[in-house]
Amino acid sequence: MSDLDAGNQAVQEQRPPESILNRLKRYVEKVLNSVDSMMRNPAFRKQIIWTSASIVLAMLVAAIIMVLTGYNPALAYIALIRGAVVQWDRVLFYATPLIFTGLSVALAFKCGLFNIGPEGQLYMGAMAAAIIGYMVSLPIVVHPLACLTVAALAGFGYGFVPGLLKAYRGAHEVVTTMMLSYTAILFTQWLVTYPLKEPGEFQWIAQTPLLFPTAWLPHLFGSDFLHAGLIIALFAVVGVHFLINRTVLGYELRAVGLNAEAARTAGINPKWNIALSLGIAGALAGVGGGAEILGYHHRFRDAWSTGLGWDGITVAVLGHNNPWGVLLGAIFFGALRAGGNSMQVNTGVPQEMVTVIQGLIVVFVAAPRIIDWLEKRGIDYSAWIRRSPMGGIGHLATTVWAAGSAIEAMIIISFFLEKTPFAGLLVALAIIVGFYALTKLLAQNPAGPVVSLFTAVEWILIATVAALLGSSDMVYFTAPTAVIGIAVSLMTVMSSRASTQKAGGN
Amino acid sequence: MIYAVELENISKTFPGGVRANKNITLRIEQGEVHALLGENGAGKTTLMNILYGLLSKDEGRILIKGEEVDLRSPYDAIVRGVGMVHQHFKLIPTLTVTENVVLGLEPVGTVRGIDEAFSEKHLSKLLPINYHGAAEKIKQIAEENGLDVDPYAKVQDISVGLQQRVEIIKTLYRAADILILDEPTSVLTPQEVDELFVTLGKFKKAGRTIILITHKLREPMILADRITVLRDGALVGTVDRQDTSPADLAKMMVGRPVVFTVEKGPANPGPVVLSVEDLRVEDNRGLMRVDGVSLEVRAGEILGIAGVEGNGQTELVEAIAGLRKPKGGIIRVDGVDIAGKSPREVRAAGVSHIPEDRHKRGLILGFTIAENLTLGRHYEPPYATGPLHSLLDRKASAELSNKLVDDFSIRVSGIDAEATTLSGGNQQKVVVARELASRPKLVLAAQPTRGLDVGATEYIHSVLIAMRDQGTAVLLVSAELDEIRSLSDRIAVIFGGRIVALRDPEQAAPEELGLLMAGHLDGAQEEGSVQ
Repeated sequence: MSDLDAGNQAVQEQRPPESILNRLKRYVEKVLNSVDSMMRNPAFRKQIIWTSASIVLAMLVAAIIMVLTGYNPALAYIALIRGAVVQWDRVLFYATPLIFTGLSVALAFKCGLFNIGPEGQLYMGAMAAAIIGYMVSLPIVVHPLACLTVAALAGFGYGFVPGLLKAYRGAHEVVTTMMLSYTAILFTQWLVTYPLKEPGEFQWIAQTPLLFPTAWLPHLFGSDFLHAGLIIALFAVVGVHFLINRTVLGYELRAVGLNAEAARTAGINPKWNIALSLGIAGALAGVGGGAEILGYHHRFRDAWSTGLGWDGITVAVLGHNNPWGVLLGAIFFGALRAGGNSMQVNTGVPQEMVTVIQGLIVVFVAAPRIIDWLEKRGIDYSAWIRRSPMGGIGHLATTVWAAGSAIEAMIIISFFLEKTPFAGLLVALAIIVGFYALTKLLAQNPAGPVVSLFTAVEWILIATVAALLGSSDMVYFTAPTAVIGIAVSLMTVMSSRASTQKAGGN
Repeated sequence: MIYAVELENISKTFPGGVRANKNITLRIEQGEVHALLGENGAGKTTLMNILYGLLSKDEGRILIKGEEVDLRSPYDAIVRGVGMVHQHFKLIPTLTVTENVVLGLEPVGTVRGIDEAFSEKHLSKLLPINYHGAAEKIKQIAEENGLDVDPYAKVQDISVGLQQRVEIIKTLYRAADILILDEPTSVLTPQEVDELFVTLGKFKKAGRTIILITHKLREPMILADRITVLRDGALVGTVDRQDTSPADLAKMMVGRPVVFTVEKGPANPGPVVLSVEDLRVEDNRGLMRVDGVSLEVRAGEILGIAGVEGNGQTELVEAIAGLRKPKGGIIRVDGVDIAGKSPREVRAAGVSHIPEDRHKRGLILGFTIAENLTLGRHYEPPYATGPLHSLLDRKASAELSNKLVDDFSIRVSGIDAEATTLSGGNQQKVVVARELASRPKLVLAAQPTRGLDVGATEYIHSVLIAMRDQGTAVLLVSAELDEIRSLSDRIAVIFGGRIVALRDPEQAAPEELGLLMAGHLDGAQEEGSVQ
């Protein structure tokens, strides 16, 4: 055998085990490449910045609200984060149904539809799973699969109906899915209160009998909460990603969502795709409901869902209707929820604050222009401050003062109203004028600083009234407000006078 | 002299890096008709949008009637007498002509009369609008300028030519004396174009300044006093009309000499591919738009349907393509009856459709170029694989896309770029490439070169001729008479939903065709039979 042949033979013998490793390496490389190209894409980067900025802004505004209501935001946030980290199993547990409902909304959106009904689809799926779970006896592994399949079918049907209505009758899916949600909640409530109720003694909350243990999904990592529904949810994320990007159906759904007319001209049937997309969306939410029942509740309880469907809409918005974004969003919301519990226990900040944060996030995410506007303002202000420091800082300070004083007036008005109506009226006037000054300042109207000066003078009056009423606490609040107001407004007014004189205006 | 408009060193770069205007300096004299000529993407509309206040400039100065202005919105331009008639009309279809004209300048109350009624004060916005007075004023303006239109008609109910008149009236209502018209003739019949030219002549006599944006070479030669040519965002030159010719202008626009006539060998018609008998099609409102049309197209021939928009061509093409169910009649492709079948079935029968509105029907702008190129065949192998052909074969579609991009010289930054990054001409090339790549038996080409520049038009014409020479039957619908005359082997004129004449392009004069398109059948030669 020549050296060449020996060499070839050696290489051939070495090839089989290498190829698997190589394939794995190539796959990882491909994934890293696509992540890299995503990062380079300026639109994608902007989305990430915008989402992160929204979250930060929302937490900032929530912090302000906490201060105004007498809580310490720093401690609250620390408790929130600690709670989320320590109770990571609960985070994932709360996240699991949100992944399903978020995917549901996101998928429908790819076809240009607003699925507002995941709550109802969730309930239908959950009820279907519960029925198969306690009425039918099946061996392990088969039983939960059967339950989930039926849950998916129930959810599919419940989404398909509004889909058909939209496709063939033009009935707007926002209305139909939302209304059908309530129908589902009440229908399942009736089912669980009468025909399917657990027989026996009186219960505060109606519930079905316990599911057969063969139907239960196992808990993960020894947690009392986190269950195998998470694994199914992860598969669902991958599945939705695959469906949207790699299949013909996903292509057609996206085509219809982006331009139904062009899709129709190209031979795609938009009506069928619309109906199907809402059906699949319903199926996803249905499976989510089923998984919760099988994994945690182990029976269908009346009103078991704490708004998981509605939160799914928020999660989808936060995740920009992208399956991976939905995954991250759901985990984030799960963290907020778990941390919120801990925040309430440790610092006394009510759990509703978490809802406040969630709502604020939606406002900011859904209004990217706010971020753009803030960015532009930031740039404007820094340029202004560089040009004329006193004017720029003065204007910024006046704007902040105007906003703060208006909020403060809203807080103290009740106190004054109790004492004398005149004082209450004065404070009310301060609120109105304060907001008026704020709008003028924000519009960079030259009258802004003058109006805020006027407001500051009013605050002097208020402080005087507080002193006359003998309340030293109030004086401590209102007098500094008045003084700061006069100072910053005067500073701004004077510097703008100076600059216009320099420019030769009048 | 005081110039009506002075644009000095205007530069504009769009986000994404496209430099739409590169340091353009242009001075428009008062009372002249100034043509702004250039291919699609040359930057003409961008420049005028900057002048009108719709876009902000990055650099440069703008002076209107000698006064330097900082335009924050069209309002600033409008109060200085600048009016713009856009290529894509800014009209609200569901409102009446009057409501559209007064939008933004609503006359309130009747006490102080119309002229001083507009007020910035907030309370006056709560007063009722005096539509009647506005309609009177509109009628008056219309009569003075020969632009008759019914002030109470809804915009969606009037023809495109009349809609354009409404746009012009909008500018006159605001006392504009500098009028910018963006591609005004792209939607008009030859007669309507002549009427427009007459109107513009009147405006010029009244001392108004007219800036005409166009890519057609004929118009500046007829109308303009001076012509400025833009190319790729830069100003190539400004010439007086008498010192130049269409060939010179074309060379300035494109940068190389341009061939105007289409090189075309004789047709070799084969068997009949498309046979339409007594087709009747209604539109969305139940009006009969195609009223008994019969025609035939043979393999290897181009049948051109000449007609003004709105005479049924759109519905005719939609019915053949399967997008609209005919009320009666037979449509056969190669003997197979396809009337009333779905678009997918019609495509499977070997029919390709180049839609007249590439944004609405042709492309999915949010899709990548590769995804657009497989649209319509994405569900078949080789683009679909896997069980039940349910998975996309990305490699196959990438191969096809690269091949088509090469074959058709489509300028793309990559096949995975979004379709929105393409210029109009390249977008149309994507549509044409995709439709022709399936080797159809019949091609329905509806307004295939609408909105395209000289270069792209040249290319698409040559592609259609090549398809014809390979034996494809082509049904060409176009509002451009020149295109019909140069491409078709036979011409059918459509008016009022009927084929009113069949002509041989060599023997039909444009005037005769124009008359037929407008429905004047007397004075025209006797119509032949429909085969």
